[in-house]
Amino acid sequence: MVRFLTAAFILMAAFAAPSMAQDTIQEVLQEHRAVIEKSSRKTIAPAIDAIANSGLPSAQTVLQKWQSKEMWQRKEDGLFFYAEEVDSKTYSLFDFQDGAALGEAAKSDLKQLKPNSGIRAMIGAALVQFQLNDPDPVRRSEAILAIQRDGEASHLAPLRASIAGESDPDIKALKEVTERLLTISYDTDDAARVAAIQGFNGALSLDARAALNPVLTTKIALKDALPDDANIKDRVIAGSDALPFEDALAMIVDAGLIPAQPTVDERKDALLANITDGQVGGVAVADLDTQEARDRAYMALVADGKVPAWDANYSIEEAVKSTAFVEVYAEPSKAVTDAATKTIKTIDRAVGLNQTMDLALDGLSLASIYFLAAIGLAITFGVMGVINMAHGEFIMMGAYTGYVVQQIIPDYTVSIIVAIPAAFMVTFAAGVAMERLIIRWLYNRPLETLLASFGVAIALQQIAKNIFGTQARPLTSPAWLDGALVFNDVLAISYIRIAIFVLAGVFLAVFLFIMKKTRLGLETRAVTQNPRMAASMGINPDRVNMLTFGLGSGIAGIAGVAIGLYAKVTSEMGADYIVQSFMTVVVGGVGNIWGTLLGALGIGFLQKGIEWLNPSNTLAAQTYMIVFIIIFIQFRPKGIIALKGRAAGD
Amino acid sequence: MTTKLKATLASALIATTAMTTAAMAEDCTTKVGVLHSLSGSMAISETTLKDAMLMLVDEQNEKGGLLGCKLEAVVVDPASDWPLFAEKARELLTVHDVDVIFGNWTSVSRKSVLPVIEELNGLLFYPVQYEGEESSKNVFYTGAAPNQQAIPATDYFLDELGVEKFALLGTDYVYPRTTNNILESYLEGKGIAAEDIFVNYTPFGHSDWSKIVADVVALGADGKKVGVISTINGDANIGFYKELAAAGVSADDIPVVAFSVGEEELSGLDTSNLVGHLAAWNYFQSAESELNDEFIAAWKAKMGEERVTNDPMEAHFIGFNMWVNAATAAGTTDVDAVRTAMYGQEYPNLTGGTAVMGANHHLAKPVLIGEIQADGQFDIISQTTEVPGDAWTDFLPESAVLMSDWKDLGCGMYNTETETCVQLKSNY
Repeated sequence: MVRFLTAAFILMAAFAAPSMAQDTIQEVLQEHRAVIEKSSRKTIAPAIDAIANSGLPSAQTVLQKWQSKEMWQRKEDGLFFYAEEVDSKTYSLFDFQDGAALGEAAKSDLKQLKPNSGIRAMIGAALVQFQLNDPDPVRRSEAILAIQRDGEASHLAPLRASIAGESDPDIKALKEVTERLLTISYDTDDAARVAAIQGFNGALSLDARAALNPVLTTKIALKDALPDDANIKDRVIAGSDALPFEDALAMIVDAGLIPAQPTVDERKDALLANITDGQVGGVAVADLDTQEARDRAYMALVADGKVPAWDANYSIEEAVKSTAFVEVYAEPSKAVTDAATKTIKTIDRAVGLNQTMDLALDGLSLASIYFLAAIGLAITFGVMGVINMAHGEFIMMGAYTGYVVQQIIPDYTVSIIVAIPAAFMVTFAAGVAMERLIIRWLYNRPLETLLASFGVAIALQQIAKNIFGTQARPLTSPAWLDGALVFNDVLAISYIRIAIFVLAGVFLAVFLFIMKKTRLGLETRAVTQNPRMAASMGINPDRVNMLTFGLGSGIAGIAGVAIGLYAKVTSEMGADYIVQSFMTVVVGGVGNIWGTLLGALGIGFLQKGIEWLNPSNTLAAQTYMIVFIIIFIQFRPKGIIALKGRAAGD
Repeated sequence: MTTKLKATLASALIATTAMTTAAMAEDCTTKVGVLHSLSGSMAISETTLKDAMLMLVDEQNEKGGLLGCKLEAVVVDPASDWPLFAEKARELLTVHDVDVIFGNWTSVSRKSVLPVIEELNGLLFYPVQYEGEESSKNVFYTGAAPNQQAIPATDYFLDELGVEKFALLGTDYVYPRTTNNILESYLEGKGIAAEDIFVNYTPFGHSDWSKIVADVVALGADGKKVGVISTINGDANIGFYKELAAAGVSADDIPVVAFSVGEEELSGLDTSNLVGHLAAWNYFQSAESELNDEFIAAWKAKMGEERVTNDPMEAHFIGFNMWVNAATAAGTTDVDAVRTAMYGQEYPNLTGGTAVMGANHHLAKPVLIGEIQADGQFDIISQTTEVPGDAWTDFLPESAVLMSDWKDLGCGMYNTETETCVQLKSNY
């Protein structure tokens, strides 16, 4: 009975809809039920318009709930509600009209409407009229964002009206900028548009460029076909890059100024179609083996009127020479396009400048990452001369330590503060153990050290896989490191990269302090220069080597935490950095921290520079960089800063 | 004398036969090869599939095995080393005598295995979405072909999101390059100008994404809507999404649709900043069906509560069950008999509906598009009906004329214009 009544109601609603004004939002929804269920951006527009323009007080609620995927449909009768989750299987329903609770329903009886982001943007645009003056500032900001994404001419008037009454200064500023953007695209008054365009002189915002560039869209047209007041940009010469002869010809033919000439292939097809008794146009098919003969046959057919006319002396160049082509703006007003051209010129200059700075920042950031990864190696390889292939795995151990600490301490800030010393201690211990067990037996045997440490690297990777699994583990940065320091829409750098930059600077200072100001540093330098002499001065070379190796490993562990924050934590992450680290140390010059710094800067900037020249293939950029480094090493085998005298060790 | 010898021989023969038969009845085993990397760079994705296969084999044994025999999984580790895949496949077929192999992830490893499988007439079930342009008599492709993933996702970008400018970002190997070639040609056919398509390739494991993300953002300067189609593979995705989040790229401004990022890959990420970005697959864990609930429950019971399911696992689920049904129907695990019985095999998808094995060795499966949610799961916002997989794409001129039909034409590379079989082996 209930079902029958509902069905009758729906039927009634459906029939009644076109003839009389609807008085509940449910009726509006039911009228457009099919397209709402289909949920495709291409067909949804009438439904959104009908709801937005229904004039019903609940229209805003419906659109908002629909946009946030909170609108549900009851499968039984197809009615729409908004719903709140009670538990994973049941939802409680509410009526749109008055917000009345309608009881609970099982999830299996309901269907959630999931508008895709294209539809959500359209709903957002429709909501603008309701939300621009909403008491909630969040809603007002959303409305402005919706205009910036999907602005339309109808937004201009309500937006202008809402500016005067805006109380929040930030939103007011945003509204004013948005109003100018809309003015450029949709205002009918040219003077207002020019003023708005000039307001964006030198502006870097992507929105401004996105509004200005379409003003200057042009197309190529025949000069004679245009009205006298057309806004012409320039003359175009047929045969130039902008207008190849074929395109020019096609335009003239399309305009009906000259008849189309059959192409070689078309003429050939015409000949084939007209073969009679082994002959075409009086020429035997067997003789048609030269272009000249084929042309003769075709002319004969033309004379018979069997095929379209063809002018043998015809040339495309001749045909297009007598016609004037122009590039014409889609925008009719010359004042507007002139202003836009001028403004875009100022913007381009500013964008170019900022892009260069952005590239420099990227290079600096990459350099600090390489430096951080390499600084531990600068100690073990640069100072001690140990080729430690497991250096990357110490980085990996540090990153996993950070992950484990985050599992224990849920507060991200505290956990990072704890993780850094913890990572140092873990990798310091691992480094000392490795030095005691393996490296110290192999001093002065570089090949064996290389192989042994490579073996350790593989073993450590597999151990990490067994403990943590093969899946990447999250190392989440604290919220204050999220996002980016945005100078403008072109120049920005993420905070995490700034943090790595700062960390690299701190490590440079720590390294210099330890090497130059502490006893360990002094002893290390003594032992590396001449172990026997150092030993006879009362230094225990064994102990110094052990501590130095541990220090280098420990710093690698801290670098691991930083790299894990910005990239990923996997058992293979170390392998990604080992080659770069060795390159950095070797290019910079073995045994000198300033060399490592210069090496990192050189490689970082070089890589970014090559990427800029060849933006479509990052892999190629890395290949070119390695080739460049090989050439560099050929000419300066000792790196940028070569140690001289006794310190060089040979 | 002769009679005596004959009698002895005969009795010996009978005895041997009797013994063999007895042995078979007692504990006959059917061997199932599992060829997934358990170490190296692809272990991140492939280890899960090995676990999924072991679970499926266990479940089948609980149901009584296959043809009265117990199934035994033979696991080998090709260690993400492409030539080693060929060696391990040979080992599975000749040393372990497996009846079927489930395995491979990257296309380059599949290409390495093909000659071995074809030479020894093995049977391989390949569970991952791939670039198409291949059809081997000995391989069943249970993952998506381009027309079941890349093309519908691109259509979704064009029609539903109104994207006018495309950034095709990929890892530098055969799958992204072929897919992007197909997509470029498809987009140009849809009227997208060549200068509105930005292509970039990065190495495996790439982590420095700031410049590429900045380049993509800058594409929007001319007022056109930009969308990113990502064929980035493996753990490079993590750095990419982190940089995307740091740059504040909202899915409403620049949507990203990924073809190689599923639940498993997202479990290594904080997804709160990625909400709304997209992925296209034939399966998501969030699909609502009873079969899927059972599958997830079984997986979590075996592997732990925090583990997730993903698309290639579903592909193995369908592939394995189809193989079991085909072998049952054929009454033998003989490769040729099973292959013939495979055509037209039907098995329910975990997402609802039914997967059907076509004569071109590809499945008909629905295409799903999901939005990333804060909990690392996908919200399915679009689901098509079953789409039959197409081995040779229609959007590259040289392969548009090709088709694959092993059932009636007996050819995987059949030229429909010249009506000839181009070649039988897949050594292209």
